[in-house]
Amino acid sequence: MASAASSLRTPLIEGAKTPAQVTRDICAVLDRKPTWVWWTGFLCACAALVVGAAAVTYQIAVGIGTWGLNNTVGWAFDITNFVFWIGIGHAGTLISAILFLLRQPWRTSVNRSAEAMTIFAVICAGLFPVIHMGRPWLAYWMIPYPNTRGSLWINFRSPLIWDFFAILTYFTISLLFWYLGMVPDLATIRDRTPPGLRRRFLGILSLGWDGSARTWLHYETVYKMLAGLATPLVVSVHTIVSWDFATSVIPGWHTTILPPYFVAGAIFSGMAMVLTLTIVARKAMGLEQYITRQHIDKMCKVALATGCMLGLAYVTEFFTALYSGNQYEQFVFLNRALGPLSWSYWIMVVCNVGISQLLWFRKVRTNPAAVFVIAILINVGMWFERFVIIVTSLHRDYLPSNWASYVPTSIEVATLVGSFGLFFTCFFLFCRFVPVIAISEVKGVLSVGRKRTVFPLTIAETPAESAQAVLEEKGVPV
Amino acid sequence: MAGRDSNRYWKNLEERNAGEESSARVENEFPDSLEFGAEPIARREFLKAAGFAFAGAVLTGCQRAPVEKAIPYLVKPEEIIPGRPYFYASTCGGCSAGCGLLVKNRDGRPIKLEGNPEHPLSRGGLCAVGQASILGLYDSRRILHPLREGKEATWEQVDREITDKLEQIRREGGAVRVLSDSISSPTLLAALEAFLERFPNARHIVYDPLSGSAILDAYEQTHGVRLLPRFRFDRAEVVVSLDADFLGTWISPVEYTAGSRAARSLEGNPPRFSYHAQFESRLSLTGSKADQRIRIAPQQLGLVATHLARELASKAGVPIENEGIQEPPVPARVLQEIAQRLWEARGRSLVVCGSQDIATQVLCNFLNHLLDSYGSTIDLEFPSNQRRGKDRELQSLLKELQERKIAALFIAGVNPVYDLPEGGQLASLLRQVSLVVSLDGKRNETTELAPYVCPNPHSLESWGDQEPVNGIVSLMQPCIQPLGNTRALLESLAAWMGTPKPAYDILRENWQARIFPRQTREISFQAFWDHAVHDGFVELDKTPPVAVRTFAMGSVHPILSAKILAEDEFALVLYPKVGILDGRHADNPWLQELPDPITKVTWDNYACLSPAAATALGVGDGDVVRLVPGNDPTGLELPVVVQPGQHDQVVAVALGYGSKATERFAGMGPQWWERKPTVGETGRVGVSAAPLLRFADGALQYGQAPVKLQPAGKHLALAATQTHHRIEVPHHLATPGTERRPVIQETSLQAYLEDVSSGKQWEEMEHEDLWPPDHLYTGRRWAMVIDLNACTGCSACVIACQAENNVPVVGKDEVRRRRAMHWLRLDRYYAGDGADVEVAHQPMLCQHCENAPCETVCPVLATVHSAEGLSQQIYNRCVGTRYCANNCPYKVRRFNWFDYPHEDRLENMALNPDVTVRSRGVMEKCSFCVQRIQEAKIEAKRNGAPLRDGDAQTACQQSCPARAIVFGDMNDPNSLVSQLLRSPRRYHVLEELNVRPSIAYLRLVRHRVEETEEEHHG
Amino acid sequence: MSSRVVTVVLGVGLAYTVVFFGRSVSPRFPGNQQSYEPVQPIAYSHRLHAQELQIGCLYCHFGAEKSRHAGIPPASVCMNCHRFVIASLGAIRAEHELAQRASRQPQTVVSPELRKLYEAMGLNSKLQPDPSQPMNPLAWVQVHKLPDFVYFDHRAHGNAGVECQRCHGPVETMERVRQVEDLSMGWCVNCHRQVNQTGIAGKPVEASLDCDTCHH
Repeated sequence: MASAASSLRTPLIEGAKTPAQVTRDICAVLDRKPTWVWWTGFLCACAALVVGAAAVTYQIAVGIGTWGLNNTVGWAFDITNFVFWIGIGHAGTLISAILFLLRQPWRTSVNRSAEAMTIFAVICAGLFPVIHMGRPWLAYWMIPYPNTRGSLWINFRSPLIWDFFAILTYFTISLLFWYLGMVPDLATIRDRTPPGLRRRFLGILSLGWDGSARTWLHYETVYKMLAGLATPLVVSVHTIVSWDFATSVIPGWHTTILPPYFVAGAIFSGMAMVLTLTIVARKAMGLEQYITRQHIDKMCKVALATGCMLGLAYVTEFFTALYSGNQYEQFVFLNRALGPLSWSYWIMVVCNVGISQLLWFRKVRTNPAAVFVIAILINVGMWFERFVIIVTSLHRDYLPSNWASYVPTSIEVATLVGSFGLFFTCFFLFCRFVPVIAISEVKGVLSVGRKRTVFPLTIAETPAESAQAVLEEKGVPV
Repeated sequence: MAGRDSNRYWKNLEERNAGEESSARVENEFPDSLEFGAEPIARREFLKAAGFAFAGAVLTGCQRAPVEKAIPYLVKPEEIIPGRPYFYASTCGGCSAGCGLLVKNRDGRPIKLEGNPEHPLSRGGLCAVGQASILGLYDSRRILHPLREGKEATWEQVDREITDKLEQIRREGGAVRVLSDSISSPTLLAALEAFLERFPNARHIVYDPLSGSAILDAYEQTHGVRLLPRFRFDRAEVVVSLDADFLGTWISPVEYTAGSRAARSLEGNPPRFSYHAQFESRLSLTGSKADQRIRIAPQQLGLVATHLARELASKAGVPIENEGIQEPPVPARVLQEIAQRLWEARGRSLVVCGSQDIATQVLCNFLNHLLDSYGSTIDLEFPSNQRRGKDRELQSLLKELQERKIAALFIAGVNPVYDLPEGGQLASLLRQVSLVVSLDGKRNETTELAPYVCPNPHSLESWGDQEPVNGIVSLMQPCIQPLGNTRALLESLAAWMGTPKPAYDILRENWQARIFPRQTREISFQAFWDHAVHDGFVELDKTPPVAVRTFAMGSVHPILSAKILAEDEFALVLYPKVGILDGRHADNPWLQELPDPITKVTWDNYACLSPAAATALGVGDGDVVRLVPGNDPTGLELPVVVQPGQHDQVVAVALGYGSKATERFAGMGPQWWERKPTVGETGRVGVSAAPLLRFADGALQYGQAPVKLQPAGKHLALAATQTHHRIEVPHHLATPGTERRPVIQETSLQAYLEDVSSGKQWEEMEHEDLWPPDHLYTGRRWAMVIDLNACTGCSACVIACQAENNVPVVGKDEVRRRRAMHWLRLDRYYAGDGADVEVAHQPMLCQHCENAPCETVCPVLATVHSAEGLSQQIYNRCVGTRYCANNCPYKVRRFNWFDYPHEDRLENMALNPDVTVRSRGVMEKCSFCVQRIQEAKIEAKRNGAPLRDGDAQTACQQSCPARAIVFGDMNDPNSLVSQLLRSPRRYHVLEELNVRPSIAYLRLVRHRVEETEEEHHG
Repeated sequence: MSSRVVTVVLGVGLAYTVVFFGRSVSPRFPGNQQSYEPVQPIAYSHRLHAQELQIGCLYCHFGAEKSRHAGIPPASVCMNCHRFVIASLGAIRAEHELAQRASRQPQTVVSPELRKLYEAMGLNSKLQPDPSQPMNPLAWVQVHKLPDFVYFDHRAHGNAGVECQRCHGPVETMERVRQVEDLSMGWCVNCHRQVNQTGIAGKPVEASLDCDTCHH
């Protein structure tokens, strides 16, 4: 791994950690009993999940009619949530794959949780295409399999089919990538756990990792390769999702700008979600020294960049519509901004393009509280972006006689809540049972071996002590 | 379920249900080999056993589908071959217009009503009400047994008691009255006559809930005979209608629509394109098709007629006194110009008047007299019998009732307790009559009260005849074994006269005696009869013409003034809706869910207000207002519908709602926790406006009474199928110049005559495709042409489609959520500002695009293109992603949001066995009636003949009274459809998308007023 | 009783199941009714009528050429012959011999299966219509079933010259009718594809491959 131990910049990991400490600090979370914070969070998440499960069960039992859709607006919350969650996933892959290939050492502290987030997000996303079907029990018809219908295949021209495969691939790769990255850490935990069932189990999971140079070599190679495989997915998946709309004939959907627009949006929202999660996690789990303001700052920069791209996309859309001279296109965009659903449009613009501009200021970027709020708002904005694209385009399309409005039902809202419930339930469990920070990778970016660290590695045991050591070294009387 | 039914033959309901119980034989498919000794079973053994049992279960479980029984006839009726449709010619019993029917029968039951193309009046058309009337046959709630004091009784018992009482009444010389709507059946009239003349004091009193009494009275004054003439719109080149909705609801809409269609076509050179001006207070269907529409308050009608009379009289040099006539309510120039047109088209022009004011009707006759319409566009020699009501007699009857002079009252085909303003007190009056017999087959307010109910069978169950127009007698024949223990009115009368006879014999005898002699074509009666039964009607060439007196000028009196309403007063207009009419079919779910052609609202009646009036009152769509008639404080509370094109001092309310029959809809629609009921707080659909009717100057008045309006501060969500009404998009949402959408293309006659392609909004260009064509269409290619000119928006096609394709009824809440299921909808667009609007109706159905956007996006190939150009929707393959619907530019796809109920076994008999009943979660849409195409193709093959143009007709095309829809093979250059496709008026909706629809529309052409001005000035 | 015995018993039981429902072991999807052979209310033999007596299919199933459904013949059609043929020749001979031995009048023999028919028709022992007796229609068990959303049309196939056996198998050899083909969509479609190449009995045909030919 590339060492970031340059004497010029401040170390990524504060408090002059020793590898041993790193292990101890990060595993501490797993060792100690769950805190009340965790419990409350977890139970809330579960509650939300239960609500969602109930809603979905009811909807499948009674019919899609329990959603607020109609003959004009055939998709709304369902596909909005789908696109939203897929988008969330992207940051994870970006951080873990692209930043890895770009040798960005700061990724090491966040990539684990980001990847976890990706997987959970994709799980949430994958739910919606299934439950939004009129006959979900026939979802397997999406799979091309030989049948007695002589043989009747699927429609390979349909973007939904591309979607289906794209997401499947995405999920598989992400899962592998995540798991592979975890193997060394699992081994670490294995070694720390007393013999018993748990150790046995961890032994299996860590694939008999022995930490030999050879193993490391193989590991690095595979990891690089997977990173290489995952990288195009960051772009491809959301591009394909955007084709669901871009290949249609509906004004507001049928635009070539959608793929880049969607990808940028995805990373934007993803980063926001990573920020939301990590800011909470570092506080709750006392990992401030691992996920430092530096990390937050860097992620904010990525968010800012993508946010600006998004802003550009919004403007471009309007321009192309007006420039096209196509009355339907022009109408759709004016209708978004000034029509009956304009409030959703303005929420989107303000949250995504407006609020995110605050990230230009270092003060804001380095203030976790502020960033947290901004990140939340960005997530809201990004959800509404998808809502705007889907609903406002559909509800007033070509024939004025078709124009209809859309109002969500309680079932739909409950389903959305439920998807968050699912996501956070998974994430809380993840925090409990898996090291939230890639121990092995963080060790790689420690400032170990730098001259300035004079004190013997053995002195400092706890973060407090090491901090004290630093102070002493600076000659501050204690 | 339709599928299974059509696989299983049955002779009557019992048999049909008998097949239902599914087998016991699946159960004993399990081996009984899991026997153990007496000693208890050890855990492992048990588990093992369980395991094996499970294995066995897996092997056998998914073994057989449940057993289905097939029950053939024991002795098959000669003509019936199970699964083969038969058509019987008959006559529609939906209203008194008497249109010709072809009843499609399958396996011994009618499943669809179609217009009889040979019928001289309806000419193949059939209106929405007619189409829907088949549901009445399978109405499980109708009265299927004689009732005595509301309890089921036997005919013997009921007959005995009635005859005894009648005998007593006869001895005492008590008054016997028969109250009915217009009966045009010669046989029934003869029977009634025979029945009544046995009593010293007996009368047959006729009234129509939608009365035309004033017209008949007017003719009595002007021509000495009380008759309703036959209006020949097909001969008229200039039609001026004074508030007569002749295309929608007035007397015989199908006949009139066919007529005006014939007189208003652009074929031929110069085209014979009649001019139509409409004076009306609300926006009616007819008004929506008028070339010139003049908004007037109802009370101004007479004044307008007077001024027209003055204009024409001066042209004709006939003096009429005209002192102190108020100024016309409309610009004199308009009246002069219309008078001019009428005068120029003397003998080819027609003035009709829907008013219930006799003086106005007399003036209308005078106008026609001045225009020599009599003998040309108005036929007095062979008048119509479609309205015979005499409101005066009705009034006298009510008087007699109040004076308790009536001994026996027979009520047939009407529901006076509901229809009449005095309904409430009538109820108590009826209780005092010693013998009240209702002969209605439907449960309604009157049958509730009548001690005796002798239910009449449905018109598809019994023999009968009608003579809608003198000389044209059309026959009714039973198409199904009567579903209950009902008895035709004819038979009841015969029974009470002591000569019980089956209706068939009575009919035949009467025909032999009275009808047969009125013709010369056939020599033998049998041949004549067979001919009649086959055709469904006969034209009697030896019918004596009615002798009328020459026009009596003396009866004409100009109307000097129109009542001026106070600022806050509104003139009330009570009107019938196309689907509901007077409410006799209010129990029909199809008609309740049929959107009103103008307002597009379903499942409710409401108070229509002009935009100006609405803003003045500060109310909008759905806000409830209270109508307070001047005299009594109690009023009606109705939601407002803002109706452009309506007169500002008019409030229009539909009749026929809020009847007891609609209580059945309480449970209508899918049941889930956010649902709202289809019925209102009253438990009924809408509110009855009958209390606002009133008798005045000898006729039932549907308007004029001044009412005040008070906002009630409530809101009631109306269920409309269209909520944006204008062809323009909101101006602040459109870049300048793109407000109007090129969906409706229209032009003026003038412009059309100069340039046939005028009004074209999109230049058709031949696109160069990168790819070779997907579809070669080597054989046929089905296409449809819809003439926007001919289409009146009457909505017959909507119901025809619903009946043919098993389209479910979803209920008010679902419609409100914009989930109506109609495969074919009628888009209605307003153009122009709120006050005076131009209206365009556009039937919108699946366009069967060549480059169908829906087909590419379906992930499972549930919608694909057929070799003959149909965009097919395969229900059983659909998984319901709704992507196709989203991607349809026309939004004509319909999704099954719920499992729509089909529990009513009797009602299910109306289902078309050739069309799958769709389950929940699948998409559906217009299929171009592919089942009819298949039938036609297979039959052609069977007969070894090629498929001729017109063999395959879609349901909508078949029922259209205006022949606006033409369907056929566009690969056949001679087919009518390809001829029309070559018309210069042809255009495709959303041509610019290059989806290449198979449905083309013919541009709308109107006489335009401004250009006529030019005509005059230069 | 030792667990091994139980194992054996259960093994046999399972084997019995497998054999008894032998056909269901061959890989088959749920709903596939191939080789369904239900017991019918009357043991009517197609072998006897169609093969030995050479009665054409359309004599009884007359619907096939005129209607969507071939139909199960009304009992009256059976009566055309069985008004006279009321028992097998063998049975009648036997009765006659018995009668001769017992030197008595031979009494009329009615085949027990035909008796069911006569009862259904409400005929008395003299085979005369008897108003007192109820007419109760025969409920045959449907063998060849298609899902509700499939509209097969006998007319089209019959008139195109497809012989009945093509879909129904050698019915004339069956005592009790059995479903021979699996009647799956693939089976239909492949036949349509094939005949478009080969034609039927040398006669070229165009068998539609459009979905809405069968699904509407």
